[in-house]
Amino acid sequence: MDSTLGIFNSQNALTDAGQGAAQTLWLTWIMTAAGIAIFVLVMGFIALAWRARGGGRTWWIVGGGVVFPVVALAALFAASTVVLRGIAGHMDAPHVIEVTGKQFWWDVVYDPEGRALRDSNEIVLPLGEPVEIRLKSADVIHSFWVPSIAGKMDMIPGRVNRLTVTATKAGRFRGQCAEFCGLSHPLMAFEVVVLPPGDYAAFLASLDGEARDAVTPTERRGAEIFQSAGCIACHRVRGLSEARIGPDLSRLGARAALGAGMWEMNTGNLAGWIADVGDMKPGAQMPSYNHLSGPDLRALVAWLESLT
Amino acid sequence: MSVAEEPAPCSGARMGEDTTFEAVWDTPKGWRVLSSVSHRVVGRRFIYTGFVFFLIAGVLALLVRTQLIVPGNDFLDLETYNQVFTMHGTLMMFLFAIPILEGFAVYLIPLMLGARDLIFPRLGQFGYYCYLFGGIIVLSSFLFDAAPDGGWFMYVPLSTTDFTPDISADFWLIGITFAEIASVTAAVELITAILCARAPGMSLAKMPIFAWYILITAFMIAIGFPPLIIGSILLEAERLLGLPFFDPLAGGDPLLWQHLFWLFGHPEVYIIFLPAAGMVATMLPTFVGAPLFGYGFAVAAVVSMGFISFGLWAHHMFATGLPILSLSLFSAASTMVAVPTGVQIFCFIATLASGRPRLTTPMLFILGFLAIFVLGGLTGVMLASVPFNWQAHDSYFVVAHLHYVLIGGMVFPLFGAFYYWAPHFSGRMLSERLGRWVFWLMFIGFNTTFLLMHLTGLRGMPRRIATYPEGIGWDRLNMLSSIGSYILAAGVALFVYDVFRSLRRGPLAPRNPWGAATLEWLYPPVTPGFNFHGIPPVHSREPLWDQPELLEREAHEVDGLMHGLRDGRRETLGCDPVTGAPLYILRLPHPTWVPMIAAAGLALMFGATLASVYWLCALGGVIALAAFAVWAWEPSDSGVERDVGMGTTLPVNLVDRRSHTHVGIVGTMLVLMALFASLIFGLLYLWNTQPQIAATMAAPLAVPSGLAGIAGLAVALFGQFTRHFALQGRTGRAALLAQLTAIAALLSGASLGWALLPVDPRATAFGATLWAIAGFVAINLCVVVFWALFNAARKLAGRVGPGQSLPDFNLATFAKGTGLMVIISAAFCLAGTLGGAAQ
Repeated sequence: MDSTLGIFNSQNALTDAGQGAAQTLWLTWIMTAAGIAIFVLVMGFIALAWRARGGGRTWWIVGGGVVFPVVALAALFAASTVVLRGIAGHMDAPHVIEVTGKQFWWDVVYDPEGRALRDSNEIVLPLGEPVEIRLKSADVIHSFWVPSIAGKMDMIPGRVNRLTVTATKAGRFRGQCAEFCGLSHPLMAFEVVVLPPGDYAAFLASLDGEARDAVTPTERRGAEIFQSAGCIACHRVRGLSEARIGPDLSRLGARAALGAGMWEMNTGNLAGWIADVGDMKPGAQMPSYNHLSGPDLRALVAWLESLT
Repeated sequence: MSVAEEPAPCSGARMGEDTTFEAVWDTPKGWRVLSSVSHRVVGRRFIYTGFVFFLIAGVLALLVRTQLIVPGNDFLDLETYNQVFTMHGTLMMFLFAIPILEGFAVYLIPLMLGARDLIFPRLGQFGYYCYLFGGIIVLSSFLFDAAPDGGWFMYVPLSTTDFTPDISADFWLIGITFAEIASVTAAVELITAILCARAPGMSLAKMPIFAWYILITAFMIAIGFPPLIIGSILLEAERLLGLPFFDPLAGGDPLLWQHLFWLFGHPEVYIIFLPAAGMVATMLPTFVGAPLFGYGFAVAAVVSMGFISFGLWAHHMFATGLPILSLSLFSAASTMVAVPTGVQIFCFIATLASGRPRLTTPMLFILGFLAIFVLGGLTGVMLASVPFNWQAHDSYFVVAHLHYVLIGGMVFPLFGAFYYWAPHFSGRMLSERLGRWVFWLMFIGFNTTFLLMHLTGLRGMPRRIATYPEGIGWDRLNMLSSIGSYILAAGVALFVYDVFRSLRRGPLAPRNPWGAATLEWLYPPVTPGFNFHGIPPVHSREPLWDQPELLEREAHEVDGLMHGLRDGRRETLGCDPVTGAPLYILRLPHPTWVPMIAAAGLALMFGATLASVYWLCALGGVIALAAFAVWAWEPSDSGVERDVGMGTTLPVNLVDRRSHTHVGIVGTMLVLMALFASLIFGLLYLWNTQPQIAATMAAPLAVPSGLAGIAGLAVALFGQFTRHFALQGRTGRAALLAQLTAIAALLSGASLGWALLPVDPRATAFGATLWAIAGFVAINLCVVVFWALFNAARKLAGRVGPGQSLPDFNLATFAKGTGLMVIISAAFCLAGTLGGAAQ
């Protein structure tokens, strides 16, 4: 059942597709079990007290209110600290990905101090290898959360936060902004794709160089419209434009979702997006291109879908 | 239960024999009732107004649940949804929970402690109107289509002009800050009343447990609200004046807002919980028929909770990138708060075992509270674990947790309290039969709504999202939660019906209908306006159980101090704060419009700020100041003695640090110091996080900084000497020193301003904060000067009799605190200078 739009494996902290999520899940089960046990005990105690006629005892308060909580909390704190060290401990990640939150999408740069390969709204992780994700914000506070893989971390203007994650299952997961960030906050999700390390290297290599060339006449027409209609002023497509105002579209067609993890990527949704973005995502900076003629829109969509 | 159904014997106290007394305390008739200052009237107004806000916020919650009932719903658009959830949280936290509990405290505390009114009744009226006007300002944003939509937490930079250019954020900041004045004034009022006006013999250890809960809560409000008030003022200054407190490019920090907000926000949770727990601790013994078990443990737990609650705020910020060490410390502190909570729960359990519990409606709500709150506490412990928090934070798990704690910990006890104390409001009982329906609807509806949300959150659903796509695994859970919310709402609706039904058809309440132990049941529940003809000496925590003479006679015949004292004035007993021994006669004000006019002036000032009409704003300020002056302009009655009966003679007023006015000033200083400390916290925080930008600031001037420090020292020292002479009754010298204090205050204010001349408040957040500190200190210095002139004018006008040094004594206490603020501010200016020189 865990498939959004049929394209994601999960967005669920109760799965364990990453080291952080798995260790936290272990802690979650232990705390839940202990919590239920304590709840039942206390309720049972209340039921007994209701029937008891002997009067209260001071040791109940000392035992139930002080001794037992102190012991239980110390144990919990110890377990929690062990998990915390395990999650936040290794900082020597071989990969670095910089993610910048923007109202209401995600700018992604792989290897920011080296090759600086740019993409948007989709983050690819190598299976089983730690990745340091550097979290920034370009406007307001956002929060980066892929529940299936790891806990969340905020993206705060003026700061760089670091989150180290290790994905342990291949697949496509959904992440979402977890800090209220304005009008279209609910429409700010993203895709996380976990690939085997070899495929990951190949993926990075594919981010270098120019985007796929237009082949068919329709695609070529689409590429022309992309430039003449002004899309090029904001969107980067490798080889055509280096603009950084809107998301990078160099491999838009390869993504499974549109509009930052919100809608299935298909011809109808993409055309609808271009024609009426203000309706699909209020507050997005992109104007609606509802003045494009039908054939022009189809050509533009065809070309964008061909960018893989 | 049986007592409730019996017709009430009408007691003579409804038409008591002492007509002079009753005439003096009579509530003004007709529209003049708005000028009433009685705690009975003001407390009820807080409760009724708070309940109206509860209903409005509840409707907003239903809108939220209706929007989320199915995925991809377009019942509300995004903007409306954001406004709705923002206002839901805002109204519930600021305009319902705190005010309604303060309303109960304002109403019950004097009755429980054996006082005829709160000590500063006009402050109560003033606070109520601030709350009402502030609430109206916040709500009116809907009319202007500018309802706040940045969340009840108003995080920056989303709420700055860059991202919220319209005035919706200003509505929030100004309206809520205005309404918060009520919380703070009520806190000072309650602290003073609890410490200074108790029945003879009611030592601290014999106070009803509710008074302990309220005393600690009031201290927490006095210290906990200032960080948010300061934060809101700084943010409004950033929005209006461009001062960059939170702008990282100018050395500010968005996280400073979060620290200030949660420095308030976490204690706030306990501020909401404690009074409600105090209600439980009051009602429970009544229905068990035995005193609260472990009174001492409960008091210790409440006090320690008060302290611990100020050390937990950062657990709302675990995902902001705090260092591991801070995370661990705050995590440990957050788990630790479970200990005093557990102690209280087990005190309640032990009390249950001490007698034969009766399953009345209030008792049902107490049991509901225990079940729900314990579960909420357990999930709270889970959230204190950092790794778990990183998953659960800002997910529906937290939504579930906070509603378990707040609805379980506050709303359920509150509804129990409605059933329990209803006779005090209408003279009639609510229906036990409908009450059971209300309880079960609320209990089942609540758990259906929120138990499932734990799972929804762990399945990855973030908070505050207006819509979600189908098929992620949240659909059915949300549907069920929404259905649950309708059931919960049906329970509340049935309660409202029961209230209106009982007004006409409810059985009349007899005297002490539940067989309670506390003094608020001494009289038949509804009296015209007075509390106690005679204030009975109390030598038990459960006076109505242990002092049979109290219930043997008609209430107005019960023997007590001040019975039959005819001064034609509203008066009550002032006591020693610790022992409760009667010390003096405390004269109270009669109904007046002045506080309302002051609040209206402030409303005009705040409203005009919103509308950017600044001359009107100034006019409002002048009206408020004039009203405050009239308020304070009253004869001082010190030096008169009266026979109060039972062989006791007491003076009117007391020139002593135990005087209620002095305790009130100390309470006010506590609030002012907390405001000042919040600013200093901001300065140190920014200095620590952005030292390189702080270093670019032009340094304050060294010489005037030093001068300000010396002048500040003079203010404090002159204040100390003034106090000394005032206590000795050497009024001439005290007056002279008070003038000197004022002159030193003028000097120190001027030097502080001079020292900061080179500092551009718009250039760096650090400079802006220094100016904010200086501005705050300057306002306090103005008060000192104004006060000194005012005291002198009163003497010239003959309003202060010879030998009456209390006004100068109080001024001096205030001046001492202000002098301390000047010294600290000057030290920071000097530090800035030296830091600049070291570059």
